[in-house]
Amino acid sequence: MSDKKPIISPDSEGISNGTRRDFIKQSSVLTAVALTPGTVVHAASDHMDEQIAAVFEKMPLKMEVNGKPHSLQVEPRSTLLDILREQLDLTGTKKGCDHGQCGACTVHVDGHRVNSCLTLGVMVNGKRITTIEGLAKGEELHPMQEAFLKHDGFQCGYCTPGQIMSAVACIREGHANSEGEIREYMSGNICRCGAYPNIVNAIQEVKAGGQAV
Amino acid sequence: MNKPIPTSADGLSRVDGRAKVTGAAKYSAEYNQPNMAYAVLVGSTITKGTIATIDTKLAAKAPGVLAVLTYLNSPKVPGHIPTKAQKPGAKSGPLKVFYDNKILYNGHPIAMVVADTFERAQYAASLVKATYNKQAHDTKPPKDLSRGVGAWGGKDFTRGTVDAWKTAPIKLEQEYIHPSEIHNPMELHAIIARWDAPDKLTVWDKTQGTQATRDDIAKAFKLKKEDVQVNSQFVGGAFGSALQVWPHEVAAILGAKVVKRPVKLVLSRPDMFTSVGYRPYTWQKIGIGATADGKLVGITHEAVGQTSTFEDFAEGPINTSKGLYAVPNVTTRYKLLSLDVNTPTWMRGPGEATGAFALESALDELSYALKMDPIDLRLKNYAKVDPDNNKQYSSKYLDEAYAMGAERIGWENRKAEAGTTIQNGWLVGYGMGGGMFGAYRDVAVARAIMKADGTLTIQTAVSDIGPGTGTAMVLIAANKMGIDPGKIKFEMGDSALPLAPMQGGSATTSAVGSAVHDACTVLKEKFQQLMGNGGTDNPDYVKILKEKNLPSLEVLTKSQPGPDNEKYSMQSWSVHFVKVLVHPTTGVIKVDKVVCVADSGKIISPKTARSQVVGGAIGGIGMALMEEAIIDHRYGRFVNNNFADYHVPVNADIPQIEALFVNKPDPYINPIGAKGMGEIALIGMAAAVANAVYNATGKRVRDLPITPDKLI
Amino acid sequence: MKQFQYVHPASQAAVLDAIAKPGSKIIAGGTNLVDLMKKGVMSPDKLIDINNLPLNTINTSPNGLHIGALTLNSVLSENSLVLDKHPLLAMALKAGASPQLRNMATVGGNMMQRTRCAYFYDTAMPCNKRAPGTGCGAMGGYNRMHAIFGASPQCIAVHPSDMCVALAALDATVTIAGKKGERRIPFTEFHRLPGEHPEMDNHLAAGEMILGLDIPDNNFSKNSYYLKVRDRQSYAFALVSVAAALEIQGGVIKQARLAMGGVAHKPWRLFDAEKFLAGKALTEENFNKAAQLAMLGAKAREYNAFKIKLAPATIAEALKHAGGLV
Repeated sequence: MSDKKPIISPDSEGISNGTRRDFIKQSSVLTAVALTPGTVVHAASDHMDEQIAAVFEKMPLKMEVNGKPHSLQVEPRSTLLDILREQLDLTGTKKGCDHGQCGACTVHVDGHRVNSCLTLGVMVNGKRITTIEGLAKGEELHPMQEAFLKHDGFQCGYCTPGQIMSAVACIREGHANSEGEIREYMSGNICRCGAYPNIVNAIQEVKAGGQAV
Repeated sequence: MNKPIPTSADGLSRVDGRAKVTGAAKYSAEYNQPNMAYAVLVGSTITKGTIATIDTKLAAKAPGVLAVLTYLNSPKVPGHIPTKAQKPGAKSGPLKVFYDNKILYNGHPIAMVVADTFERAQYAASLVKATYNKQAHDTKPPKDLSRGVGAWGGKDFTRGTVDAWKTAPIKLEQEYIHPSEIHNPMELHAIIARWDAPDKLTVWDKTQGTQATRDDIAKAFKLKKEDVQVNSQFVGGAFGSALQVWPHEVAAILGAKVVKRPVKLVLSRPDMFTSVGYRPYTWQKIGIGATADGKLVGITHEAVGQTSTFEDFAEGPINTSKGLYAVPNVTTRYKLLSLDVNTPTWMRGPGEATGAFALESALDELSYALKMDPIDLRLKNYAKVDPDNNKQYSSKYLDEAYAMGAERIGWENRKAEAGTTIQNGWLVGYGMGGGMFGAYRDVAVARAIMKADGTLTIQTAVSDIGPGTGTAMVLIAANKMGIDPGKIKFEMGDSALPLAPMQGGSATTSAVGSAVHDACTVLKEKFQQLMGNGGTDNPDYVKILKEKNLPSLEVLTKSQPGPDNEKYSMQSWSVHFVKVLVHPTTGVIKVDKVVCVADSGKIISPKTARSQVVGGAIGGIGMALMEEAIIDHRYGRFVNNNFADYHVPVNADIPQIEALFVNKPDPYINPIGAKGMGEIALIGMAAAVANAVYNATGKRVRDLPITPDKLI
Repeated sequence: MKQFQYVHPASQAAVLDAIAKPGSKIIAGGTNLVDLMKKGVMSPDKLIDINNLPLNTINTSPNGLHIGALTLNSVLSENSLVLDKHPLLAMALKAGASPQLRNMATVGGNMMQRTRCAYFYDTAMPCNKRAPGTGCGAMGGYNRMHAIFGASPQCIAVHPSDMCVALAALDATVTIAGKKGERRIPFTEFHRLPGEHPEMDNHLAAGEMILGLDIPDNNFSKNSYYLKVRDRQSYAFALVSVAAALEIQGGVIKQARLAMGGVAHKPWRLFDAEKFLAGKALTEENFNKAAQLAMLGAKAREYNAFKIKLAPATIAEALKHAGGLV
């Protein structure tokens, strides 16, 4: 299977310093594996193969999620969405299509709303992520969360985290000045239960309330 | 008539709302287990034939892969092994995953890769390569009655004289097409399967019925029911797609057995088109005739729905024509056409929504032929007793609903002649359409526990796909017990809790709500007995428990329909009013205003009820204007199996929607007076939109969806 | 998704070095590339993340308005220079994708996006663009979204961008860098027609990258309009879209710019209609005539015949908006 694994070439010209350091770190981990007593390696050769593959295939990722720093090793192909849900157990961010076609995975990266399903984890290295779990201040809900509750801006609740993250951004961006503008700027978040009018009402209330979002 | 219009802020907020707005609500894929593995399905790329070879070597050797299951190596599901010989010509029944080399439709699961991460499982799945012995397939949907085979024993139905509409002075006959629709709930179907012992299984599964799923899994794997635990705490929408156990659920359970680890399987969005049913493509023809003054003489309603070659799925598109109007002569012919496709299933307003599109469009067409207002035509043929069986209705206030909706939409602004109103460069049209759906009540059991701290816990196994079951149940309990809703905890979504039916057919509030009502009634009576002296209306529960030195008081109550449920015809009713704007040269359609009125008995939870009606209307707008699952028949394969190409409404498509309720309790259906609402919220809506488009443009579109290209 | 190597070079030179190797692919916003990689339609061995490069500037230059290739679609759509000088571009940008996607997608990435043809996206179907020589699935298949202009027997796919339609109308130029240096080409010559080689979407050579765009100053800002007709009101690709820009002097059209989306393998500039409109009065009749001229040579397939009617209707309607008749 070695032919199926990506080769990280020692000839890493064009790789920025950070990445070069990462490569060296990966190599040293690999060295440690190689120094493991032969009997152990032999006994677990099948699994060791996987471990070596895993080492080669992973890169370091440092990011701040909801104010908390995280230092991870991830495959370059892992999306921010899968990292949040499967590695950090932050399951509030939802997978609805995995292709940027529904908005359920909306999170804020450095304060801007994006589809986390199309965001490679390695591309948010050093960035600040906010998910639905990071919106409330302890027990005190964010005004948008309160407004969604009050106006019943959801039914099943699955698109809701993405809707709320998008709604907060919609106001922050200055795109909540009319019902029509809100509808257009909330159209990247599909709700199959059909809570759209209630979502618009919730956003209008928060916007009118003038609270900091 | 001058009732205040409910707004989105009126009523008790959802009891589970806080969990949903904070991301704390956990759906089936979100119970990550220690040492959990990930499964990804591989679907066939041909439509009919057999697998010739299947090469899993590359996949099996890929990093992180734990197992690759195919029909060649998968453990057999005990329930899949036939116990008796099949009747010749009979269909083989629900798809048996990894059972043999037959391919029954495009996307038929042929393999499943289990790996230590999702990414690795997904990549390895792309390495599974199959070759096939292809056979000629047929996925072309029905276009007349000819290829269909009679459903339900094949008998046509006639009330009065066969095809009597043909004898009427004013008559018309038209064909209507309803394409296949995919439920496409936002939550992808998902299951986590964990074997706790060789004969003991726990699953976190997206299901509309924890106990039905438990029973089906137990049967399939020959386990005791009590050894199968099904959890479905939150369900991210379903609309019918989670009413049965599908092959991917069985596959995940098999995978967990093979790798001896908990296995998570989440369908992809394209999988959602081939794995969990859909609303079937249905061809319909309606012949309808009336006297010159608008009295209906007869309706003939023919329908052919598609089904799979291995399973019959029949629903009720022709039901509405039997019961919605007082018409003496009705003929229905309903057939199924078996195609090389996956089996359809119930989708919100199953059958009736499809049928109501045709019938309510035909009524509208007839109204123009008669030069009669569509509401007047309906009132002229208003059914005061059920025309299907002559039973009295348990309650019916549809005429009030017509009046309420007409007033709020501004029906007086509708021009009787189509295509004549233009405002700011847009054609303006008004339309209406209604529907009915049987109001049911199943057996249900609820447990109510009053604790010493004054909190009440209600338990039932029911799952909630979004309508707000918990909120309604808490309100019923709060009302009965005379306590604050904030003191009530509603526990659900767990197969070990007391008996509850599946959440389907708009029957949850009726069935489970009655059980909760009855449990609280009995519990309150118990407290009253404890008080002695006949008690009072509002016992002080905390004080009584303290005085009697009891930690809690608990009842388990079974609640079931009585003779009235047989004696009366029980239906929920709805009517939808729509105003559309259509651009005369580009065909762009904007829904400008919607008013929906539901006659569904007493409204238990105004806030969630309103949302349910609004949601149904939006589903109807999708049905009318954009939804259509498209197969390239040369390949038998979907060409729009994603959310970019299978359009559902987005926020910009939807105006404010008024949801109104007659809100008069049904005195017979159950002790709470509430009838179902989930289905009627959708039924008739597509016709209302289509009728409004006709009123605006003079163009009658009878094949959904009504996209701009059909109007230019 | 296949595993790949990811690098994040610090300089343009390093990027050009990296992309010179076969199997390498630039990633900027990733909205289309990651999507295609998940589907197995594209499977690069190495991704070159160019976000370190200083290419996200918008500024006035001797060539007009300069826009760096890494400018986000959302930023561009809100930029005051763009709103002031080229509101048509802002309108087109806002008609595309969703706010979230526009927050990720870059100008260069938007230009590089692949077709949304279902047969291109499904690796189990034939597609000459994805797998040359396998045939065109759409030609005899479900081709409702497909081209009516400039198609070849090999491919009838359309380019999905809205932004590019406006840029084609606005006579933008593209600056491209390669190992041999920089070159500039007209925007209308950046994308190509499918011809015998539908696998190539544009004239960017192997080892080249987009640095940015320049839009010359013009007098269209008061009278321009982007009209997109689609199956739903937002978050959908165009059935047909039209970018219309008019320079009006004394009630007469001095010059016009028109381009269409959703009808061809590239943004489809309507030169004949533009010529016709020059010197004409702002009348519905003239707009309709221009629209009819634009349709010469249109060819419909089984499911997209409606575009033959919809396209001229959309052109005329966009012109009415641009000309202030609506």
